Amino acid sequence: MHLDPFELHRPTSVDEVVGLARDLAGRFDYLAGGTDLLPNYKMHLNLRPHLIALEGVRELRGRSLERIGAMERLADVEAESALLAAYPPLGDAVREIATPLVRASGTVGGNLLVETRCFFFNQSQFWRQSLGFCLKADGDRCHVVPQKQKCYATFSGDLAPALMAVDAEVEVAGADGRRRLPLEALYDPEGDGIRRLRLRPGELLTAVHLPAATRGDPGAYLKLRVRPSYDFPELGVAASGALDGGRVRRLTIAVGGAEMRPVRHDSLTAALVGERLSDDRIRALADAVERATRPVHNTFLLPDYRRRMVSVFVRRAVERLREGTAG
Amino acid sequence: MPSPPPVRFRLNGQPTEVAVEPARVLLDLLRDDLRLTGTKRGCDLGTCGCCTVLVDGRPSLSCLTLARLVDGREVTTIEGVSPPQGLSPLQRAFVEVGATQCGFCTPGFVVTATAFLRDHPHPSREEIVRAISGNLCRCTGYLKIIEAIERAAAGGA
Amino acid sequence: MATGPATDYRLIGGRIPYVEGPLKVTGRAEYTDDLSRPNQLVGRLLRSPWPHARLRSIDVRAARELPGVYAVLTGEKYPTPFGVLPITHDETAIAVGKARYIGDIIAAVAAQDERTAERALALIRVDIEPLPDYADPRDGVGKVAEPIHARGLNGSNIQKEVVQHFGDVDAAFARAAHTVRVKGTFAGVTHAFTEPMATIAEATPDGRLTVWSATQVPHYLHRALSEVLGIPMHRIRVIKPEVGGGFGGKSDPLPHEIVCAALAIETGRPVKILFDREDVFYTNHGRHPTQNDIRIAVDADGRILAYDIDATIDGGAWSSFGTVTTYYNGVLSMGPYRVPNFRYHGRRVYTTKPPNGAMRAHGGTNLRYSVEVGLDRLAEATGIDPFDLRDRNALPPNSTTVNQFRITSTSFRACLAAARARSGWDEKFRRLPYGKGIGLGCGFYISGSNSPIHFTPVMPQSTVHLKVDMDGGIAVHSMQADIGQGSNTLLAVIVAEVLGVDLARVHVQRVDSDVSPVDLGSYSSRVTFMMGNAAREAAQQLLGQLLRAAAALTGRPVDDLAVGRERYWSRTDPSVGVSFEEALRKAMEESGALVASGAYRSPKLGGSFKGARAGTAPAYSFAAYVAEVDVDVETGVYGVSRVWAAFDCGRALNRLAVEGQIEGSIHMGLGQVMGETMSYRGTRLMNPSLLDYKIPMPQQMPKVEILLVGDDDPEGPFGAKEAGEGPLIATLPAVGNALYDAIGVRFTDLPITPDKVLKGIDQRTKEGRPWKGA
Repeated sequence: MHLDPFELHRPTSVDEVVGLARDLAGRFDYLAGGTDLLPNYKMHLNLRPHLIALEGVRELRGRSLERIGAMERLADVEAESALLAAYPPLGDAVREIATPLVRASGTVGGNLLVETRCFFFNQSQFWRQSLGFCLKADGDRCHVVPQKQKCYATFSGDLAPALMAVDAEVEVAGADGRRRLPLEALYDPEGDGIRRLRLRPGELLTAVHLPAATRGDPGAYLKLRVRPSYDFPELGVAASGALDGGRVRRLTIAVGGAEMRPVRHDSLTAALVGERLSDDRIRALADAVERATRPVHNTFLLPDYRRRMVSVFVRRAVERLREGTAG
Repeated sequence: MPSPPPVRFRLNGQPTEVAVEPARVLLDLLRDDLRLTGTKRGCDLGTCGCCTVLVDGRPSLSCLTLARLVDGREVTTIEGVSPPQGLSPLQRAFVEVGATQCGFCTPGFVVTATAFLRDHPHPSREEIVRAISGNLCRCTGYLKIIEAIERAAAGGA
Repeated sequence: MATGPATDYRLIGGRIPYVEGPLKVTGRAEYTDDLSRPNQLVGRLLRSPWPHARLRSIDVRAARELPGVYAVLTGEKYPTPFGVLPITHDETAIAVGKARYIGDIIAAVAAQDERTAERALALIRVDIEPLPDYADPRDGVGKVAEPIHARGLNGSNIQKEVVQHFGDVDAAFARAAHTVRVKGTFAGVTHAFTEPMATIAEATPDGRLTVWSATQVPHYLHRALSEVLGIPMHRIRVIKPEVGGGFGGKSDPLPHEIVCAALAIETGRPVKILFDREDVFYTNHGRHPTQNDIRIAVDADGRILAYDIDATIDGGAWSSFGTVTTYYNGVLSMGPYRVPNFRYHGRRVYTTKPPNGAMRAHGGTNLRYSVEVGLDRLAEATGIDPFDLRDRNALPPNSTTVNQFRITSTSFRACLAAARARSGWDEKFRRLPYGKGIGLGCGFYISGSNSPIHFTPVMPQSTVHLKVDMDGGIAVHSMQADIGQGSNTLLAVIVAEVLGVDLARVHVQRVDSDVSPVDLGSYSSRVTFMMGNAAREAAQQLLGQLLRAAAALTGRPVDDLAVGRERYWSRTDPSVGVSFEEALRKAMEESGALVASGAYRSPKLGGSFKGARAGTAPAYSFAAYVAEVDVDVETGVYGVSRVWAAFDCGRALNRLAVEGQIEGSIHMGLGQVMGETMSYRGTRLMNPSLLDYKIPMPQQMPKVEILLVGDDDPEGPFGAKEAGEGPLIATLPAVGNALYDAIGVRFTDLPITPDKVLKGIDQRTKEGRPWKGA
């Protein structure tokens, strides 16, 4: 397989990146680890004539308990035992991403912004052409939900639900300067599998900030997939929280791998604050999250099954959290 | 089109300078331009692990690494992890326990496991299994590959 | 001939590392894509985006005119049909008149580089008339609007239909104490070897054509090239470099191999075609999607009275090995059991999907699953332990099946005993807690198809040549195809064993039709048995020459001489002897280099009825596997934690290789049970990639205990039988039956994915059945 020609830019500072992004307005992709972008490019998916490689930008590096640079390799994060212990959902998630070889190159930022997936999209040019293409690349209809003019490609990153659950924030840089926003605000609830981020044109994800408030809180990330390696999540559920004297002080649930974006279910967990985490309450919460989650048939496992697993995974994740507190 | 600027890197210990266009991956540079054919092309999409090389000592999928981005780095291929004469202890273990069958995935496994044993000289079986879970083998069921890595680790202890 | 007592082998039965291992671990082994020829062009294929279409016109002018393009070919240039079986030549190198599946080759280009070739493909204009597509074989059994091939039976898409009846099945069912019916559904699976297909072809001014290709069947490729290109075989040279796995996927002569040669002829330059992974999936030839419907009758003691089997087999677009497949799906169901009455109705139906063909344990896998699940149910119904039930039905050694298969050696009962004892069966079966289970599955497979594919000319199935010159190295030539299973090593081991020499003296030569005598290739688990016997015969001839020289040197008669390590010595006076090299030099005085040739001819086997030869083999392998599973009953996710694999391959010649074949077979069998599937929506393959085709990971491999219990086979080389394909079969039913033991659900729809597990549990709960059988 070959890549079509593109121009490769290798900036060394965020300012330089922002300048390039302005100059190349919309005609470029950022290249982080390349483990998601380059397979897509080899399949001729939404090619752009310029790539801005971020690996030489030092400001995008750095790992601490407070901050992870967007260009930190997943394998390096995986080796930070103190960091992973401080944020258990992050630890669970990073160890489960793809394969060791993908984690060796793949980055934190890349996983947060990973392209949505669908088995009508992640196919070669030939394959897609034989079907008449789809909304997300070169076509004008969706093969998953043909009656809608909307893309249902699934958000398939593992880190996003895990980091959302621990109240992480992200820092972005753009022509208007730098700003910080809650991670969940990165994903557009009004969007779809194509228009999915609330980044301004050219904006660059520079870092993840981890709050002191949730540091050390128990939690878990549970991933559903066919094989214990390789596979993208067919469902990913993160739970994080804190109990005071057996009563909930904070509880968050975030679900990925099921819909077009990762979703944090604060409205469902809010009612539990101040309550004891009884089995019944956990079960009711799990069922509520399941009802709020609607996967479609565009991954390996059937959507009914994936949806049914939501409540099982939420329950197990919250039970792990509860056990983590007891221990 | 003007010829692209050269990339300078160390390849298996030797300084190397080669012109390569941006839209070219390291695997193609190694196999097709430099004729280092020990690195295999199994899927070209980052799944099979047959194309694994070390970049600055880190196992990397050469099919998903732009060749220009190894500028200034150290690239080690299966040819580079093999001693000039004979076999490395890990390679010897692969041969002795029968961890090769068709052999097509083998260079990728050897490169992956070489780096793994360098960083984890006394691994548990579970760690070995995790470490090789990005390399596909269709022949062996992995059991003899795991055994070979265990044997090499025990011998190196 | 003096080779010492049968159990006193120096190498045979040991753990012999593969001879090419050092080259493979260093990346020095040469596969087809590692080779390149000076001035080589790139060949690329235009594939059909339509499942079924009449090709009205193909306009290649713009492609031809593109600078850097050297040739553009369409189907009319080489329209001679071919196929692996001479009776079903229905393929052409490039589609002629019609395209028959998404991925069918409709044009080919040779260009200076990949990008130019792809630009050229994009310039080809194809005008088509869409035709109805056929995704489901059941839609093709009657008359259809547009038969996929003219050869379809009576205007249908049926490629082959088999009806067989031995004994009286209806009478047997009428007197049965218990009967069972299992309807099995099996998704297609594919070989997914790691090396994509690759071919290089070069036509030279001396009028010769050389083809390097990743093939399991260099001889059949040689024939197909000759037939389609119209070039005599002696002007074609086929070379097989190392092959990165085959499992049956490289056991047909494939269209792209012929196209590559045609492009080389057209351009006068070497051409390489290298497949993308997606091309590999479209080429497929994997295990057929199958629906079988199996009824088994037993008497009150659990003795099998009859089988009544129906199978509908999804052929895809070509015949490939399909006629054999259709027979195998019936006739391979009987062994390892004695079945006195047998009826089979099978049909293989063309569909407009990638062709199916031979995949490891071809024809013997899907039906076996249904049979073994049926026997498990019968064991429950009769209250007989599954081991006991099988034991009392075991085919005895030196017997004949109702369809006249000759059974010589069988250690099936020893397999049962070993698996039962080692697995702790009696303490575990029906006694493990909910979610944990143990199951038994058995297997039976041919040790080499007794019938050659071609009957003209009449020739041995395998020939091996040896040459030893004054350097003392022994060159071994044979067209057998090592695809990773260790047949080169086995050749070397057999030659070294017979001659008494060090393994390092034996050099197995690359397969090259100019110098390699014909062996039919790596398929039907034939290599160990057939090539092994040919090698042994060649080595014994050579040994004869050496012993005559040793006799001349020592003054002892030949029959007094024994073979030692690198030495021939007198039995009556062990102090008298000569070294191998001394004997060699003496023998060469008159003849120069010594040469020898050995061959294997299969015996005459089988009945005289139509199709009687299908499934006949000079020997059969037997298996009894026990699997333990662990089910998460809330998610349906399960793992296989242990497998005890008792296998009868006769004498294991190289234990390392036998273990490797069994472990790899278990892995591949688990794949078919747990998640591998050629996933189609209609005729469209949804998962043509190694990411979406779910080969199991190392974490999913069970702990495997291998129990080799076979007695020597009377005709196998040193008593050996096959171990390359049979070891896969028992894996599937062992897991299926273990799942039943764990959760009380029968699964007959493979793969058994977690969603199906949960559905099964739901259904059982709804019916109010307990999870452990009554």
